[in-house]
Amino acid sequence: MLKIEDLHVEVDGKPILKGINLEIEAGQVHAIMGPNGSGKSTLAYVLAGREGYDVTKGRVLYKGQDLLEMAPEMRAAEGLFLGFQYPVAIPGVSNIYFLKAALNAVRKHRGEEPLDAIDFMKLSKEKAALVQLPDELTKRCVNDGFSGGEKKRNEIFQMAVLEPSLAVLDETDSGLDIDALKVVAEGVNSLRGPERAMLVITHYQRLLDYIVPDTVHVLIDGQIVRTGDKDLAKQLEREGYADVQGAQQL
Amino acid sequence: MTNPSRQTLLGSLPASFDSGPEWLRALRGRAADALREQGLPTKRTEAWRFTPVRSVVDAEFSREEESAPSLVSAVPEGVAVRSLRQVLQAEPELLAGRLDLGGAPTHFAALNTALFSDGLWIDVPAGTAGEAPIELAHAISTSSERGVAYPRVLVTLGDNAELTLIETYAGGEAEQLTNSVVEVDLGRNAKMSHVRVHENAGLQVGRVDVRQGADSSYRSTVVTLGGALLRFDVRCLLQGKGAECQLDGAYLIDGEDHVDHHTLVEHQASHCRSAQTYRGIASGKGTAVFDGIVVVHRDAQKTEAHQENRNLLLSDTATVHTKPHLEIDADDVVCSHGVTVGSLDQEQLFYLRARGIPEDLAHSMLTYAFLKTIVDRVSHEPTRARMREALLTRLPHGDDIEGVA
Repeated sequence: MLKIEDLHVEVDGKPILKGINLEIEAGQVHAIMGPNGSGKSTLAYVLAGREGYDVTKGRVLYKGQDLLEMAPEMRAAEGLFLGFQYPVAIPGVSNIYFLKAALNAVRKHRGEEPLDAIDFMKLSKEKAALVQLPDELTKRCVNDGFSGGEKKRNEIFQMAVLEPSLAVLDETDSGLDIDALKVVAEGVNSLRGPERAMLVITHYQRLLDYIVPDTVHVLIDGQIVRTGDKDLAKQLEREGYADVQGAQQL
Repeated sequence: MTNPSRQTLLGSLPASFDSGPEWLRALRGRAADALREQGLPTKRTEAWRFTPVRSVVDAEFSREEESAPSLVSAVPEGVAVRSLRQVLQAEPELLAGRLDLGGAPTHFAALNTALFSDGLWIDVPAGTAGEAPIELAHAISTSSERGVAYPRVLVTLGDNAELTLIETYAGGEAEQLTNSVVEVDLGRNAKMSHVRVHENAGLQVGRVDVRQGADSSYRSTVVTLGGALLRFDVRCLLQGKGAECQLDGAYLIDGEDHVDHHTLVEHQASHCRSAQTYRGIASGKGTAVFDGIVVVHRDAQKTEAHQENRNLLLSDTATVHTKPHLEIDADDVVCSHGVTVGSLDQEQLFYLRARGIPEDLAHSMLTYAFLKTIVDRVSHEPTRARMREALLTRLPHGDDIEGVA
């Protein structure tokens, strides 16, 4: 599904990612853990196609295609989804209109007929229930006046509607209390499936108690320093990033 | 070949005013004297620096006689809508002390004061809430003559009265000039919602002058969709303690449009609030001007005043001049102002694209949303819907984004 090979990325001339190698198969959930400033969000943005990131070396293959050559909307149409750490508010554009436009753009790319308003409302209601997003919020403008938790639920709601092949979730747990975290995690878990891969980016192990990964990578200073199973996350929680990094260097 | 009935604007001022009640003759005389002394604005006139009107000042126009706006709605119970001409003939004492623009008619407003021949007086007596809106349509004659019209509207609300007024200034030929004045007098705790739409304005100069009593509220939403040369001034005098005004505007210009909005809010009493939000989109070779002044007088303590002007420039050849400013003589006040001229928010654009929305569609959605947040403040649903439609018609890819919100 996704193959990252020796990826080097700079921002404003400063190296952030320094040779990332990562492969994710369909059906797998990988977690990337790392301290602040390790390059986690940069990786997420580079995968989604945000401007301002210079790939100086390496490549990314997504479903066998060169991902880095594709426009952001093309990546989304091909089934890539980024759950934003800080979803932006868009006053004047209703959530439901935006999502319908997004879904129909993706469907068009797949050669499917657009959903009409009635079918879309049905789908939207069903998916909103998954993350307990109140009906009222689906009709408001995109993230406008939403609380931190509501924004994150809105991200997972969008993911549920768009049904991506690869979901990159950037610190979906940040700013959530434990109840909201459980709701969001349940939403994510319900979307796990043999055809879908996920890359869960987080600072804390807590999220991984609820979204249990197949593989855990530790990202420090732009490089993956350790890879292991879910127990690696627990070890990190006990020992901290410094020890893991130290052990690596021995 | 010259048309004998045509005159320049200043040349059309009579030497003396011989009809109407004495106070009106005096008022017109003062306005005419002031005009002869100061003339009409030139490019050296500070408030007209970015809006050249020489072509208007030098041009000859024939006078449009039928310049009163048409009433296109029912009149709510208890509200009186009367012809100014008729009241001035039959009961002129009712209007004595009105129609003087707070004592300071200048430039085009002075010209209107000297020359208007008819108009409407909308009177909402104390305690009357006009539930349904009053709608006025201004359209000058479709004759091919280069004409000038001087529409005049007086709105008076007694204590605790309420009114929604919708005015539409529809397009005339590019060479036809509309020079309008609307005066509003709000009694204690009166509430007025005023929507003003300029669509395809040709040559338009307009002034709205509002005087507000204690605890009164004035909400204005101005939507300007194109205009060959449009200048529109709103002045709010917050004269009574606790009065508030909200001035919102949206403008969309293209081609060689020139659209100029000026606002002046004077906080003359304490505990008053004012908020202004103007947003515009400039494309083509259009020029947009925004100039907003908030004056806080020395005794106007506990004033709250906010002012914001945001502009989207969609082409390299469009121009925006914006100048919000505050003059504060009181010390216990909360004031803010801000201005932006730029392009679409890159973060919003990326968010839409990252969900699969093609770039040009994302552009259209955000451009529309930028003005729609102002249009949504139009208090009258049918007008609001019509404005949304008009925006969509004018924006690139508007057809693709119907139902955006």
